Amino acid sequence: MSEKGEVDLTGAKQNTGVWLVKVPKYLSQQWAKASGRGEVGKLRIGKNQGKAEVEFTLNEDLTMIDSLGNKPSGVQAPRDHPFTMQTVGGQTLAVFTETQSESSKERISLEGLVVQRAECRPAVSENYMKLKRLQIEELSKPVRLSQQLEKAVTTNYKPVANHSYNLEYDRKKKEEGKRARVDKQQVLDMLFSAFEKHQYYNIKDLVDITKQPVSYLKEILRDIGIYNVKGTHKNTWELKPEYRHYQGGEEEEKETDD
Amino acid sequence: MASLGGSSSSSTEYIVRVPKNTSKKYSIMAFNSGDKVNCSSWTQARMERDMSNRRMYGVEETEEGAAGSEFGKKQREEARRKKFGIVTREFKVEDQPWILKVNGKAGKRFKGTKKGGITENASYYIFTQCPDGAFEAFPVNGWYNFVPQAKHRTLTAEEAEEEWGRRNKVVNHFSIMLQRRLREQERGPDDDDEEGEKGGKKKKKKGGRGGDLRIHDLEDDLELSSDESDSSGGEDGDSKPKKKEGDVKGKGKGKKKKKKKRGSDSEANEDSDDGDFEGLEVDYMSDESSSEEEVGEEKAKSNKEAVPKGIDEASESEEESEEEKQNEEEGKEEEEEEEGKKTPVQMKKKKDSSGESDTSEDSDIDGEAASALFMKRTPPKRGGGRGSGGSSRTGSRPGTPSIDSTSTSNTLRAAASKLEQGKRQVVGGSSDSPAAKRLKMESSSTAVTTQSPAPSGKSTPQPPSGKSTPSSSDVQLTEEAVRRYLIRKPMTTKDLLKKFQTKRTGLSSEQTVNVLAQILKRLNPERKNVNDKMHFYLTE
Repeated sequence: MSEKGEVDLTGAKQNTGVWLVKVPKYLSQQWAKASGRGEVGKLRIGKNQGKAEVEFTLNEDLTMIDSLGNKPSGVQAPRDHPFTMQTVGGQTLAVFTETQSESSKERISLEGLVVQRAECRPAVSENYMKLKRLQIEELSKPVRLSQQLEKAVTTNYKPVANHSYNLEYDRKKKEEGKRARVDKQQVLDMLFSAFEKHQYYNIKDLVDITKQPVSYLKEILRDIGIYNVKGTHKNTWELKPEYRHYQGGEEEEKETDD
Repeated sequence: MASLGGSSSSSTEYIVRVPKNTSKKYSIMAFNSGDKVNCSSWTQARMERDMSNRRMYGVEETEEGAAGSEFGKKQREEARRKKFGIVTREFKVEDQPWILKVNGKAGKRFKGTKKGGITENASYYIFTQCPDGAFEAFPVNGWYNFVPQAKHRTLTAEEAEEEWGRRNKVVNHFSIMLQRRLREQERGPDDDDEEGEKGGKKKKKKGGRGGDLRIHDLEDDLELSSDESDSSGGEDGDSKPKKKEGDVKGKGKGKKKKKKKRGSDSEANEDSDDGDFEGLEVDYMSDESSSEEEVGEEKAKSNKEAVPKGIDEASESEEESEEEKQNEEEGKEEEEEEEGKKTPVQMKKKKDSSGESDTSEDSDIDGEAASALFMKRTPPKRGGGRGSGGSSRTGSRPGTPSIDSTSTSNTLRAAASKLEQGKRQVVGGSSDSPAAKRLKMESSSTAVTTQSPAPSGKSTPQPPSGKSTPSSSDVQLTEEAVRRYLIRKPMTTKDLLKKFQTKRTGLSSEQTVNVLAQILKRLNPERKNVNDKMHFYLTE
């Protein structure tokens, strides 16, 4: 559709300016916990003796850090985060969005250009140090842990044959029974329809399809097919050339006269 | 927003929101500032994922459906892959590059590749200011670096390597792309299986070279059918510039021959370096070494090749003399060719009409095809150009293809020479050593040419049979002289040529051949076969 791929350039035309801010991981995690309208904090922009100062203050209710497993740790996230402002030079950064609505119309639109880059740094504080320590502890835990067991595990292997598997096997055997030979004509029909779908078949697959005993099936196959030790490995059966009709046509006309 | 008036600082506070439920995914589009991209100047833009890396599951496998397929092949293939531990990376659409087209078809194109790892240790957020003064922060999903895609033609890797090898010799770098383009033009109309085989790039390379200036020093070029010659010529052309520059013509021919073989058949042979053929073809250094037959063959071939091959790289003016082949209908007899010092060239040329096989080097050339093709006329006429080319061994062969005297050839030749000229002019300075000689040759041969509309300067049209007045200002090469010789005793064309050596007559070898051909035509001597060689004689 022509709709797809067309980029909405309103943002670029309006020269909307945005900021690109690098935010620490823990802070973005806290932000994800925000409720309601998503208020996460306050941004204070000031001019102090000519220099712009930007500082972000985290909301109080978002300062609870959860350690692994979502348990509240005793650590609190620092609240003050001054922003370090940087220039965008060297790169022209634009922001685009992809919107995927339910109507499966994916729209791409250009939101704007980045006019300022910033890094959100936590103000160094006791809280921050504790947070860092918590992080390091969590990271230093080994992924795999050796644990000593008190009791030996006795539930894995039982000394008897695998009941469930055996039962299933026996049941299958009973249900299928010996493969009964049906009419040769029927078998031929089955074979022809099978060979319509694919050219090469493994004998096992054919047995599966036709449910015939192997020897019987092989005899029939010897009649109408050839067994080739093809270059492309495996020994497969295929129909004899005179029975073949691989132009997408039907093979019904291939009849064998017994 | 609350305004806090500070003492020496004034600050304003804004609320920061992180919206939770946006369906919009934000990404960064990064351009290099050197590309001077101004987004506000875009009138329209389209952006799509580049799906070229997707390997369709079924595509790479054998065809599905009735014929040729096996039952359960897919599962078996997958089981095999798992057994061997081959892990094919899943094709994720989100990770594919973007293709951005700005301002429609004629505008710029960019390719945006995803930059990995930006969300690993820190998150990026986009802060936009809302109308109500608050800031909204959106997390950045992906970062794509966009680079502009070149629309101008670029050299392929193979071509680039070739040109790199010639970098010390080529003076005019603008001609490189120009020649390539001209080559493609030539190649375009002759589409061939061979070319197809080698793929587009190669095809261009070969065809282009072959098409532009079909200087077929080597009989090989001529032997193949025109199509083939295109490809082979192309290859030759490739090798030609490489080798021509520094090598003796003979060497160049040898190389071309090899190349041609390669072109025609297998690609096993590598391009040889410049010095590889240094020791070859010493035999062909002398003018007289070519045999009649070979000459004839070459002629036939050259005639066949005619126009499409007429153009070759300017630097390979020498090769052009091969275009003699194109002149089927030259009035020249075989003798001319023999006389022409086409030895090396002719040697290489494909079989002659008489079916003789070429000399050693060209032995590999397939005579059959050539003879079939070029056989139609009686003795192949190698243009006089060839002769002249032969004489000036050291790469000084004038780029004058021997143009047919026939009307058809004329048109072809005209076109060829035009292209040549164009090329020549561009590549003016590309070949050092041959250049001067070439110019000299060309100017001298211009006088001799009739039909080809070659401009005075560069391209040297082949002297049409019988029409050009020999510019031989010298006394030696006149009809009288030839008559005298022939009356005295039967001579072969080679012998005759020997009598009128370029040093003495002041003509280029090509001219000599042309002139001699004309003279012989006029004289119409009787022929006699002595020792398997065709002798001419007059009885008066």
